[in-house]
Amino acid sequence: MIRNTKHTLRLGALALLLSLGSCSEYLDVEPKDQLNQDQVYRDVFDADAAVVGIYGQFMGLAEKYVILNELRADLTSTTYNSSPFLQQLSEHRVTPENPYASPKDFYEVINNCNDVLKNFDLMRADNRLDSNEYNERYSDIGTLRSWLYLQLGIHYGRVPYITEPVENLDDVRDLNQFPRISFEELLDELINFTEALPYTDLYSTNSTLVIDVDGYNTGKFFINKECLLGDLQLWEGNYQQAAAHYKVVMETATGSGSDTERFDTYRVKYADIASNNDLAVGYIRYREQDAQALVNNNNQGWRSMFSREPDALWNTEWIWSLPFDSSFAPENPFIDLFSNRDGEYLLKPSQHVMNLWEDQTQRNGFPYDARGSKFSYNIINEQPVIMKYLYNYLDPATQLPVDVFQRDGRWHLYRAAKLHLRYAEAANRDGQHRLADALLNFGLQGEYTVPGQEDVTDIEQTNLPFPYNFDARQGDFPYYRGDWHRNGGVRGRAYLERAPVLGDSLISIENNLIEEAALELAFEGNRWGDLVRVAIHRNDPAFLADRVYAKLNADGNAEASAVRTKLMSRENWYLPFIWNDEE
Amino acid sequence: MIRLQTYTKAFAAGLLLLATAACSDPWEDHSSTTDDNLGQNLTQRIVSGSQTSDFGALLEETGYDAILAGSKTYTVWAPTNEALSNVASEALASDAAKRLFVENHIALTAVSSVTEADTVTVQMLSNKYLEFKNGTVMSDAQVVTADQYASNGLFHIVDKALAPKQNIWEYINATADNKMSSFLIELDEFNLYRRDSVAKANAEDMPGMFADSLTNSFFTNVYNLNNEQNKYTFFLLQDDAYDAEVEKLEPYLIKSNEDSTTTYASYFAVRDMALHKAIARENLPDTLTSKFGVKIPINTDNIVEEVQLSNGIVYVMSSLDVPLETRLLTTRIEGEEPSGFSQDDKRGNTYYREKEDPTGEMFYDIMVQNHGEPLFAIYYNANNLYSTTYQVYWRAINDIQNNTFSQRLRFGGTFQEDGTVADPIATLDYTDVPPNDYQERYIGEFTLDEAGMLDLISLIAANTGSAGANTLTLDYLKLVPVIK
Repeated sequence: MIRNTKHTLRLGALALLLSLGSCSEYLDVEPKDQLNQDQVYRDVFDADAAVVGIYGQFMGLAEKYVILNELRADLTSTTYNSSPFLQQLSEHRVTPENPYASPKDFYEVINNCNDVLKNFDLMRADNRLDSNEYNERYSDIGTLRSWLYLQLGIHYGRVPYITEPVENLDDVRDLNQFPRISFEELLDELINFTEALPYTDLYSTNSTLVIDVDGYNTGKFFINKECLLGDLQLWEGNYQQAAAHYKVVMETATGSGSDTERFDTYRVKYADIASNNDLAVGYIRYREQDAQALVNNNNQGWRSMFSREPDALWNTEWIWSLPFDSSFAPENPFIDLFSNRDGEYLLKPSQHVMNLWEDQTQRNGFPYDARGSKFSYNIINEQPVIMKYLYNYLDPATQLPVDVFQRDGRWHLYRAAKLHLRYAEAANRDGQHRLADALLNFGLQGEYTVPGQEDVTDIEQTNLPFPYNFDARQGDFPYYRGDWHRNGGVRGRAYLERAPVLGDSLISIENNLIEEAALELAFEGNRWGDLVRVAIHRNDPAFLADRVYAKLNADGNAEASAVRTKLMSRENWYLPFIWNDEE
Repeated sequence: MIRLQTYTKAFAAGLLLLATAACSDPWEDHSSTTDDNLGQNLTQRIVSGSQTSDFGALLEETGYDAILAGSKTYTVWAPTNEALSNVASEALASDAAKRLFVENHIALTAVSSVTEADTVTVQMLSNKYLEFKNGTVMSDAQVVTADQYASNGLFHIVDKALAPKQNIWEYINATADNKMSSFLIELDEFNLYRRDSVAKANAEDMPGMFADSLTNSFFTNVYNLNNEQNKYTFFLLQDDAYDAEVEKLEPYLIKSNEDSTTTYASYFAVRDMALHKAIARENLPDTLTSKFGVKIPINTDNIVEEVQLSNGIVYVMSSLDVPLETRLLTTRIEGEEPSGFSQDDKRGNTYYREKEDPTGEMFYDIMVQNHGEPLFAIYYNANNLYSTTYQVYWRAINDIQNNTFSQRLRFGGTFQEDGTVADPIATLDYTDVPPNDYQERYIGEFTLDEAGMLDLISLIAANTGSAGANTLTLDYLKLVPVIK
């Protein structure tokens, strides 16, 4: 705002100067590089520009999202390059001047969302948008705003819930103008608002927003509303409703005319062991005992989901993903964040998560999970480097940058494995332990089949009502191909032994699910939320505190026990809701 | 606005200044130096200094006065006149020696006595590295007056001249009458391994960064004792002690002729005598481990002389008896590092595995399975074997089959035109590999008449094409030399 005042004053001085001289027409010239109020929100294309503008600004939060959600949790550690501010996040002793802790940039996007939503209402009122156009766009931006608030709630606990544009953003800090509500109240508000949105589907394929631009199809740029609704209901503890929302996404391709699309999309398909053209951890066929036969390239296997071009197979996994391109702003923040080759190398995998991967056993007897040291991180220059964001930046053979100026990348926001784990979490909490265990381990068909039975008419399905109905039948006499017959389970796809269920099913399976989320989704920015959510649902802060302790302890941090004690009370989970005027 | 105000004030102040003080030149007053030291360069200051005038004279004599009057930044540790008068005459015997002497007092960088590090290693113009400790001690000289400055650098006055020391290699060359020294010098010409001749040829063709370390077979294979940037400890044996060690090794390094036998026995005796890092006498442990893994017992009573050199310490030893039990090394060959196969179209059946044994210990091994070839073989080689009998052990892990299969080892031999191998040194019997046996097993023994490289060690599958029965697997081979 200082800047604005400055401008105003300067402009004022200029105006005075000009008015002293005698000139008249000067002041009526329209600026050529900026739009006036009456030049925006005229038609659907202006509305599209507003939507794209919001997402462009939203991408600026990518770095912060990953840092806050990973570094505060147990899978990511600081390096010798990290600033003291990052160490504060890792050790949960954030001071008010820590720039990573400032919620201001979230509110900047929220404020713009509010402005856009208000204008959409105005456009609808005088018919500049038809009802379809309005519903799609309003619901999209509305859902994105709910997503932002959910993040704020997760990290700050008590936040002001503001749905109208604010003139001066710094006023958001003012408790009198904008009282803060608790996370529980916030969730209620978000669920009320988001559930009431008129449109929950994707943008229709003939929408002016779903286009190819600069080589990118925009279809997966936009938030998946059902996923967020599922997340909100899961946080709230409405497990069946959460499962219902997730199930809608899981069935996205049901009814598609293409077999490949129908059987593969968002169904966590089993490995294609013959061709290796899949997203699974796999070895070249018949060489499963050969560690060097691991399918480890940018176009095949598990790793390729982070590196491949957005092709048909990519589309079967990714639900929400935003690209960074070196030709356009915003710049990809992840190369600096993670790479130790022409990057800052600020974050690295924690010893704790490396141990988690090493504790797994693959189905060929290898005593590790290839998703760890082979894929999610590599040792480069004797340093562990998080690779999920760097596959296209570093040459697979030399591990040197292919081109230091070629910094394309993606913000990995939502994918099928995360959807399945979240759905399983909801189903498990709703009493569907067997189903949850099947989706986590080796898939539906294996769980519900009867060995040796050729007629599968009555087996290989859950026989449950929505949202727990699954048909995974695969039989030839009589012929069946259920929509879910290719589901291989998250651990099945990762070529691991099954995770055992010990003791109480609910707790044990939930533990397995959260651990699997670490193995599968590490560094993608989900971890802190997962820990907080389960700790709240169990009313057990130790669930979170123990894991952060395990990280700090494995990294040799002397503060580990003190941090654990601190995190045993929930109010210490949250960042201070503060930003400084200069920002 | 803040900014505008600042400017306005500065502007007004400027105007005021110009108006009132127009007659003088305040800028000139401000920027001209008042410190006389900065008006003089290092040469001028050292020559004119009452304590350092003799060193100044030496600078002028060697031409370094011109260099220290230059515009680069130098640090000089200038000895006092008294210190200079105590310098041994041979250190200043020739022009070249004088230049080296002067160079050893000058560094091409500014080194203040005030630093955060307690010890700063400084590269002198002589290319020797001296340690400047706590800003008060340079090498072994005490700083009398620190941090004198001139327009182009600093100088410290020290109470002792920094006469350049020899390095270890120069010392060895200077003591060529010692048998061990003369052997080391011979290695300039003699190539122990084929790679040495390549290295020496490269050193001649490309006199560059690493050329120096390629010129002598000892440098290539052990340490470059001519390298000023590292520190070494070297045990130089007196002739009797040296002869005793060589004699002890000769039966194990038999070559085709006696001269070679002596050369290699000598090399195996001396290669363990150089250690990375300088170890002061008071810090010498009872046992040191050489680069090659040989444990050397150290008895400090046998130290005849201790020589401090520019890149480390030489201990002259009257005796250094390394028992054969520790001198002769076990050779370990990793299964997953083969040199070849009897046919190269079986990559698809060859598994390089990373697994865990039942105790949770990680192991890496090779397994070749279902290849369909009777007598399929994996080849290995081994270097630096002794002329003695070897006991052979292996760890072969059969964990994914339920049946026992067998495999055998063959040492040596030459390929015939039809691909078979003739005249092996030894072929051991087929040995069973039972399932889930993770122990190291004794397999047999063989005897080498000549020391050196064994370039064909074959692990041979059973004489059958049937899958499961002709499997090969190997974690490692261990060849343990037997003392004669």
